[in-house]
Formats: sequence, structure tokens, C-alpha cells
Amino acid sequence: MSAATREPRIVAEGVSRWFGTLVAVSDVSFDIGPGVTALLGPNGAGKSTMLRMLCGLARPSRGTIRVLGRDPRSDVGVTRSIGLVPQQGSVFEPLTAREFVRLTAALHALRDPDAAATAALETVGLDPSDTRRLPAYSKGMRQRVKVAQGIVHDPVVLLLDEPLTGLDPRQRADMIALFRRLGAEGRCVLVSSHVLDEVERLGSRILVMSQGRLAAAGDFRELRALMDDRPLRVRVRTDRPRELAGALLEAGTVVSARLDGDEGLELDTNDAKGLARALAPVARDRDASLLEVVPLDADLEGVFRYLVQR
Amino acid sequence: MSTMDTLPAASAERPRTAASLGALYRLLLRTQVTVPRLLGIVALGALSVLLGVFARWDDDPVQAAAEAVTSYGLGFVVPLAALWLGTAAIGDLVEDRLLVYLWLKPVPRWQLPAAAVLATITVVAPLTALPLAASALAAGAGELAVAVLLAASLAVCAYAGLFVAAGLWLRRAAWWGLAFVLLWENAAAYASEGTARFTLTSWARSIVATAPWVDVPLGGRSVVAALFVLPAVAVAGGLAATVRYRRADVD
Repeated sequence: MSAATREPRIVAEGVSRWFGTLVAVSDVSFDIGPGVTALLGPNGAGKSTMLRMLCGLARPSRGTIRVLGRDPRSDVGVTRSIGLVPQQGSVFEPLTAREFVRLTAALHALRDPDAAATAALETVGLDPSDTRRLPAYSKGMRQRVKVAQGIVHDPVVLLLDEPLTGLDPRQRADMIALFRRLGAEGRCVLVSSHVLDEVERLGSRILVMSQGRLAAAGDFRELRALMDDRPLRVRVRTDRPRELAGALLEAGTVVSARLDGDEGLELDTNDAKGLARALAPVARDRDASLLEVVPLDADLEGVFRYLVQR
Repeated sequence: MSTMDTLPAASAERPRTAASLGALYRLLLRTQVTVPRLLGIVALGALSVLLGVFARWDDDPVQAAAEAVTSYGLGFVVPLAALWLGTAAIGDLVEDRLLVYLWLKPVPRWQLPAAAVLATITVVAPLTALPLAASALAAGAGELAVAVLLAASLAVCAYAGLFVAAGLWLRRAAWWGLAFVLLWENAAAYASEGTARFTLTSWARSIVATAPWVDVPLGGRSVVAALFVLPAVAVAGGLAATVRYRRADVD
């Protein structure tokens, strides 16, 4: 790979976007080079708005975006180098998959749109000779058609908004392999997702967005380590909350404990795995019955909140 | 070596204007033309032919045909048919969130509105202008037919431009368009000479008024000017749509 191909393909500097009083994206800066980058965040984090701005579909309220050194909003020419797989499930209903992908190829003025459409559909594992119209396709098949139209013109920059939605596990694996291959070939592939496990399989570089802000950027393993080390709150229901809280504090398994009613107990720990190991034996020693154990903040939103607050 | 040097050959092709315009035009024809829409417009046209048949038994069939064709045909059939398809041409793409597949392409921005106007004209003109001309023929007023054909065709062009632009600029464009047709193109047009000169229907009727021995309501404009004004409105509508399309955030 030449020095030129290692240059950032996408650069966002101080990008904000607001709709009236709603701030969808707030002062986000990053740059992305070749390879697969995951854009991770919960629903409503601003990922789709960010992707729309990156490919010029929406204008930033503030800040600048450059794709291959050009403004994707005003420079129609740069769209030749951008492929987008949008989040919405809608497709042109009167068309077949081949016609849809061929349309994209034709609008990109490819020399042989038919051949390009055939190749793209085969790449995503669809039959180019299928004469059914798109509404007859399953959600997963339509999703793959959308990916095919995104790659038919062989773009240098490929932006995918939740592309794995609706795919079965095998299709997901195939699609992730495709994205990784495209990234390994030197393309800039940015994949948005709100599913942590998907992102883990996509590659090591991630951008984390939460509440419109860039919460973290870097290597996925670093994020994983942060997540494992973060404080965790657990709600426990037991018939002996005072005794259990005292024993856990004494053992150093939790850093704080709060009583909640006659049976409720909220525990804060910095060692989730240690608490999981210790809770049952301590309860047995104190002759306490564990009626319910519920981790709070264990969902992805909780992880993002933690990252934003850091 | 610049970054752009690394672009694959396929994506470095130059867009061909005619090819992309043709692709957009064919796409919009396929998305616009649905069975309910076709049946609705055909029904409007068939009714105008029926009115022509009835006009044959009038004491002055030519005048009766002229009034039926202008009042019903140019007053309602042409604008409503153009409204139905014109506002939907791009408006449906916006509502269905399909514009994203067309916006992010190396295609000049004027091409989608132009394709929408052309597709609307392609469908609406034959389905309205021909029945209106047939209505004149059915009434035995053959001398009206050519003028009606020309007037209706040019009116379709003007309304198509206007309503394609409305589809991009306005939410609920079909309702705004319906209000425009009923209140402005009909009620206001008859209200005074001053408002009539700003209605498209009066310019279209002026072309019909060139036929001999007929007195066309609201047909007092210059026919030469009408031949210029109606296409100009179509072009202006296309330009207004292009301006909006260039500036719009695409969802």
C-alpha cells in the first residue's frame, strides 16, 4: 500500500448538527483511513446523522467534512467514490434486484452496468437472474441488495448504516467477511452499529458515539478493557438485606450498598466478576435467600453513558 | 501521488448526461405509473369525451364543445391529472425515503427534476390532451381539435413543472395543489380580469380561443404570449425544483 492510500479518507472537524433545539451531533472530530472502522452507539446517538453528513446528504450546522479531500455536500464528483448503504428498508418496489443495482451502475456511468450489477449481486450472494420484484424479497435479501447497490461502482469509501440488520447469523458472517475483505483491499469502510458483538467482529478500530458526542475512539480492545473495569450497579432482592450488605462490604466485594425497602439492596462494585463469584457463598453463609439479582446499567446504553461521563 | 490516483477505474468514469437522464426518466415512469393513477386519469378523460358527445345535441355544438373542453378539460382534467402525478414524481421518493439512492450519484442536480417533469408530461399529456381533442371531435367541432390538443399539451407542461416543484418544496403538496386548482385556477380566475391573467388556465384557454366561431371564457390573452408563457412556467418549475433539490437535506 502506498503512502497516499494510508492518508485519511474521511476527515470530520468540529462537526455539529442541530435540528431546532435538538442537538443531534455535537462537536465531533475524527479522521478515518483505509480499512474497516466501526461507528458504535445506541439508537439515537447521532450515528445516522453523522453518516448522512459524511456522504453529503445533510449539511453540518457547524464544522467541516472532507472525503478524499473534497466537500461531499457541494462536490457532486466525489460521489463517484462513495458508496452508501442507508439504514432505511425502503427500496424501489417496481424494480427487481438486478434492475435496482443496474440503475446505480448506470447513474455512475459504468461502461457495462449489466455486468457490474451481476458481479455485485453475486458478491452478496444473490441470484442476478431472479425476476421477482423487491417487495417479494425477505428483509435480509433486501438488505443484501442494498449492499450490492452500495458496492457496484467499486467505491473507495463505503459507508454502511446498520447493514447487518435483518440478516441471519450465516449471512452476517458472510457480510462481515465481505466488509473486512473490502477494508483489506484498501477501501475505507465505515460501518455503524448499535450491537457490540457485531462491532467486535468487524475490526479493531472503533468510534463510539453517544448523545451526539464522540465518546471514544481507538482500538476495540481498549474499549473492552474499559468496559470490564467500569463500575457496575446490581440490584439484589433478599430476605436479609442488612446482613448481606454488611458481609459484602466487609469482604471488599462492593464499594457501596444502599437499602431499598425491606428486601431491596443496590450494590456498586468495581469488580463485576468478583461479585458474581462471591454473592452466592456470602448469602449462604449468612443464611440469606437470594430472591432476585439484576445488573443495572449492563445494557449498551449504560456502557455508552459511562464512556461519555469519563 | 494523490489520494484520487488510487480510485478504481470503474469509479473514475465520467457521467454521461443522456444516459443518466434516461435512467432517471425510466425509473420515474415506473414508479409514477400505477394502475389506480392510470384508471383515475383515464376516467377523467373518458368523462370529457362523454361531455363532447352530449354537446353534439346542443343548438351550437361548437360553442358547447369549446365550453366543455375549456371549463371541464382545461379547468379540471389537465391540472388535476398533472397534480396527481407531478407532486408524486419526487414527492413520493421523499416520503418513502428513496431519494438517498438518487442524490448520492455523480449526476447533475437538474436531471432528477427534469426527468420528473418529462415523465409527468409523458403520462399526462396523451391521457388528457387526446381525450379532450376527441371530445371536440365527438361534438362535431373538428375545427377545435388541434387548438385543444395544443392548449392541453402546453398546459400539461406548465402544470407538470409547477407540481413537480411543489412536490419538493411543500409537505402535503397534493392538498396544496388541489387548493390551488380549485381556488386559484378556477374560482379566482373567474373573479376578475386582474387575477385571471395570472392563472395558467386562462393562457391555455387563449390558445383554444384561436379556433373560429367560438367564444372561450377567460380566453382573452394573446395566443403568441400563451405559447411562450406555458413552456416558461414549465421551465421555471423545473428550475425551482432543482434549487430545492440542491439545497435539501436528504433523509
